[in-house]
Amino acid sequence: VTLQMQPTRLAADDSDGLLVFSDAGLVAVLVRLSGLHEQAAGQWFLEAGFGELDRHKHAIFPDLHSAQNWIAERIG
Amino acid sequence: VICGSILARSGSLALEGKDGALVPTSPLDRLVRKLESITELTEHERQAVLSLPITTKDFRSDEDIVREGDRPWQCCLLVEGFLCRYKILPDGQRQIQSFHVPGDVPDLQSLHIPVMDHGLATVSPSKAALIPHDAIRDLTHAHPNVADKLWRDTLVDAAIFREWITNVGSREAPARIAHLLCEIFLKLQAVGLTKGNSFDFPITQSEIGDATGLSTVHVNRSIQKLRAEGLIVLEKARCTIEDWKGLKETAMFDPTYLSLKVEADAA
Repeated sequence: VTLQMQPTRLAADDSDGLLVFSDAGLVAVLVRLSGLHEQAAGQWFLEAGFGELDRHKHAIFPDLHSAQNWIAERIG
Repeated sequence: VICGSILARSGSLALEGKDGALVPTSPLDRLVRKLESITELTEHERQAVLSLPITTKDFRSDEDIVREGDRPWQCCLLVEGFLCRYKILPDGQRQIQSFHVPGDVPDLQSLHIPVMDHGLATVSPSKAALIPHDAIRDLTHAHPNVADKLWRDTLVDAAIFREWITNVGSREAPARIAHLLCEIFLKLQAVGLTKGNSFDFPITQSEIGDATGLSTVHVNRSIQKLRAEGLIVLEKARCTIEDWKGLKETAMFDPTYLSLKVEADAA
């Protein structure tokens, strides 16, 4: 599976976002957790998932690489 | 004001502690205090409850007291600490179904429903008084009015579940958490365990998430929002309600379902 990332800005405290596309379309919105989240700050949160990822709403990843792998495994 | 009236009614059974909270002389005072927050007990009935045989036991944080599938032969009266009832789904997700404060007997239903359909665990280090079913059964047979009052307690318990269904199904994230805080505050206040508008709150964000169907990220965002709006301060396992009216409005909180005898309120 080839994933394409497009940086985006969210109108929220956690404002650093990424739109994640597969060949089929938008599969996820990831956000980088801001300083608001103390120990979790800097980690990536699956803010929204679509299709196969619709059920996985609570996932947090230590870095972008593990988020990408996780998404690819589930939609591949 | 509420503490004073309960003290007067309880006579020498409870003493005012140095931090302003009541210090029961027997763990069963907790149960009396709880029942008296939602109903009246005669002196005779109170003495009957206080005569129940108990075994006290200390539990660590996050320790099971009763597990799903167990067939308990005793009920657990919480004396100190916090408990939750929960269910674990096959995929490992935990749903916390209720939180319990001292005076609650969360597994009272096991007296009549033999197999536990959920678990009961500690949220923080806790002390429980375990009461044999036989003793409670004898009490209810000898004192049918006490049976009525325990029944009333389980009906209030059911009302709290109905409110939680509404909370998890219909309120938005900050309101869900605000509602939980309003409920715990009033339940603790009713048994004399608040200090002004402040109370022990050892429940973690992860546990709040499991209770409200929210991710820890959404729990944290919601708590920050309640903080930023000047409604609450949450630090070091203690919650202070800064604006009770505002918190109730945010939560769309109506305490009717708690059936508290004294209409409690924050300052």
